[in-house]
Amino acid sequence: MAKVIVVTSGKGGVGKTTSTAAIGAGLAMRGKKTVVIDFDVGLRNLDMIMGCERRVVFDFINVIQGDAKLKQALITDRRLDNLSVLPTSQTRDKDALTQEGVGKVIDELRKEFDYIICDSPAGIERGAHLAMYYADEAVVVTNPEVSSVRDSDRVLGLLSSKTHHAEKGEGPVKAHLLLTRYDPARVARGEMMKVEDILEILSIPLLGIIPESPAVLKASNVGTPVVFDAKSNAGKAYEDAVSRLIGEQIEMKIQPERAGLFQRLLRRTA
Amino acid sequence: MSGQTGVSMQSANPNPDGGVASVAPTRIQMRGRSITAVVLRLSGPPDAEFYAALEALMRQAPHFFVNAPLVVDLDGAEGLGEKGDFVKLVREMRARRLSVIGVQNGGAEQGVAAFGAGLITIQGGREVALERGGRAAAKPKAVEPAPEPASAGVLITEPVRSGQRIFADRGDLVVVASVSSGAELIAHGSIHVYGPLRGRALAGVNGDRTARVFCASLEAELIAIAGLYRTSDDLEPAVRGQRVQAFLRDDALCVEPLK
Repeated sequence: MAKVIVVTSGKGGVGKTTSTAAIGAGLAMRGKKTVVIDFDVGLRNLDMIMGCERRVVFDFINVIQGDAKLKQALITDRRLDNLSVLPTSQTRDKDALTQEGVGKVIDELRKEFDYIICDSPAGIERGAHLAMYYADEAVVVTNPEVSSVRDSDRVLGLLSSKTHHAEKGEGPVKAHLLLTRYDPARVARGEMMKVEDILEILSIPLLGIIPESPAVLKASNVGTPVVFDAKSNAGKAYEDAVSRLIGEQIEMKIQPERAGLFQRLLRRTA
Repeated sequence: MSGQTGVSMQSANPNPDGGVASVAPTRIQMRGRSITAVVLRLSGPPDAEFYAALEALMRQAPHFFVNAPLVVDLDGAEGLGEKGDFVKLVREMRARRLSVIGVQNGGAEQGVAAFGAGLITIQGGREVALERGGRAAAKPKAVEPAPEPASAGVLITEPVRSGQRIFADRGDLVVVASVSSGAELIAHGSIHVYGPLRGRALAGVNGDRTARVFCASLEAELIAIAGLYRTSDDLEPAVRGQRVQAFLRDDALCVEPLK
């Protein structure tokens, strides 16, 4: 039974696309047949993070409008053959998305894939609404700061009212919290919100805590999902999050930053 | 107040259909609008005794009636049939700063007569159940709306998220979860929150000054009862994060810890 998971946040820049790429690749590494879909029409990014931007011919919008077949638009990852990307259009806008069109594409993908990961655009308008509409589960990406938490809360309200699940009366979409850009040192100094405080406000289960890490930016720039960087703490944290997403019980711990040689030397003298 | 010509006031919604009408391309814009009106029941052509009773009622709640659209209910006022009767009625009401906009439950001829006096015949809409307190002054009527079920309130068991607005159009609003900042609770009666209250809570929005707000942890952005409000800035630090109740005492909104 295929599962549709939306990665959403309300606020921009919190790490939705990075998380979509990492979770998608993580699921594929576990042998799950996975497709990631970019819903951010007009601001095409997911294909770059996935490192397949040079192979885009047809896109999601072409499929919705019947200009191309789904098979033509799907790009199979070069590293993992059970991972596919459905890129979006850079030249169109969110009005090109239609509810029936999206529904048809998702239904078709359900037949072939185990996991369908929808990368939502920021905001709560049309693009974000359609990205979450057909979701079975949601990963709400939140940074440890008040405005991000409030936007996530707003999105959780929409997930429980404006989705196919909710409209059919099957209850709210099951939501998981993914805390990104978490910096334990800054939390200790009181500059960032504590995990407990965020969980208390949002009251949804925690999927993972991704530490702030230079590996994330590096991975984005070279077009490699950060889970492939098994040495990085962020990559490990995403791996753990993926394990929890498929139902494994894994202890929640904040992955420590591996101190480099220089840092170790500096720490000793300090 | 005389029992013979008792006055009963109710609020009604004369136009439940708030849809947007088709809009002409330029200049003229029409839209549907739904408003709350006051219904005045007549049992015959109003006499001096009736007006005395009406004035007595208005003295009790002077602000409630001023500028409120008034609908005259003719169910039981068969004697009122001439255009002149309606013209006189409207004039007498206006003298008391009451604006009659239409009639309801009248016969066809009464409708025509009322139209002659500039009144419309209102159909549809539904009346609000009689308020407690107002009941004593009301004359027993032949047709009484079916009594509301005893638990006529709204119960919310899921967290109320930022941007959500919960409206209890009658009775109390009970939330057995958290209310996030940016969420809004509105109730005609009292509001009970058995979790942290971080959003806004507006109780007694219809003017019920006996309504209260109760919460397990006060972190609210705003609390209001019958229009009197306090923002989180005005709340004493001592009550913040506490189990409290908010209520009106002599035109002041008091927030006190629950013992």
